[in-house]
Amino acid sequence: MHIVDGALANPVVLGGAALAAGGIALGLRYLPLERIPAAGVLSAAFFVASLIHVPIGPSSVHLILNGLAGLVLGWAAFPALFVGLLLQAVFFGFGGLTVLGVNTLAIALPAVIVHYLCRSGMRAGNPVIAALWGGIGGALAIALTTALVGLALTLSGGAFFLAARLVFFAHIPVMVVEALLSAAAVYLAARVKPDLFFTLKGAS
Amino acid sequence: MMRAALLILLFVAHPLPALAHKVVFSVYPAGDAIEGELGFSNGDMAAHQVIELFDTAGNRLGETTTDADGFFTYAPTRPVAHVLRADLGAGHVAQAELSAEEVAAILGQGEAVPDPAAARTAPAGLSEADKAAIAAMMRDEMRPLRREIAALREHHQLQSILGGIGYIAGLFGLGFYLAARRRLAG
Repeated sequence: MHIVDGALANPVVLGGAALAAGGIALGLRYLPLERIPAAGVLSAAFFVASLIHVPIGPSSVHLILNGLAGLVLGWAAFPALFVGLLLQAVFFGFGGLTVLGVNTLAIALPAVIVHYLCRSGMRAGNPVIAALWGGIGGALAIALTTALVGLALTLSGGAFFLAARLVFFAHIPVMVVEALLSAAAVYLAARVKPDLFFTLKGAS
Repeated sequence: MMRAALLILLFVAHPLPALAHKVVFSVYPAGDAIEGELGFSNGDMAAHQVIELFDTAGNRLGETTTDADGFFTYAPTRPVAHVLRADLGAGHVAQAELSAEEVAAILGQGEAVPDPAAARTAPAGLSEADKAAIAAMMRDEMRPLRREIAALREHHQLQSILGGIGYIAGLFGLGFYLAARRRLAG
């Protein structure tokens, strides 16, 4: 899922960095005092999730968890996921520092989109319905991420187009796993601590 | 519908190298050829992958293909710097470079100045064929070692995981502190 250094054209890298910087700035405004610990926990979860490989068939995929981060954090997912990506690049060499902007955009923008799409469903008050929307959000975030990665690759050269489509199909198992995981997490949160999804409202 | 389902099944069941993380691409001179290996940081090797060779100006010099173990060889023809590039799809592009001096040494030009002292002390009776055989043996012996070192370098240490989590805790703690201070002041 992480695009590596040197795979993208310079305009795409610069454009991605600019947009990601804007998203982070906006996200920081949506990060009031009360949300900082939640953002930190989800950032750490995202950081570690990529090391958990799920064996599927002869191959294995890793979790991303951007859908869950988006459902809880909204725009604040931008700074949280950026920190996770930065540390993954530094510690594990996933992706690279020059493409950090594009990677942040590809992973955090779907999180924000999912947040707004699933927001009303999450607030229904019924844990089962909330879990259902959480599952949809988890899967949708991965699908959108693969679409953005594909777009970034396509903008850098038409030769990548086939590969970009392959990324989508390769991540269908991840979507299933993330949907189940997000649904379980949302169900638990809706039962135990329902205010987790509400406190962002009205924050400045 | 059936075709689409089969297509999806094919993609899901197929081991896609694009899912792995970091591309490990090492290149070294080996006898009279450029030898190298291509794989992923989790130990999977990239089999039957086309590797293209360019000079530093971007002119294409040729291409080669990895075998089932991710190994490849290429016999250079010109003593210029060789840039090797492999596109494994999904944004995984690996690049490695072999300098002009190293390529020249492979071709037996330039660097290969015979050392008279070495020639004197070298045991007699070693024919060119023997030397080639010893060199080949050495390369075979070194290969697993090289691979292990490459794998070790990519190994995710528990310390770095804990370190990363520590950084996150510290960063968000700092943000928390600053936000709290601003609130107390305001």
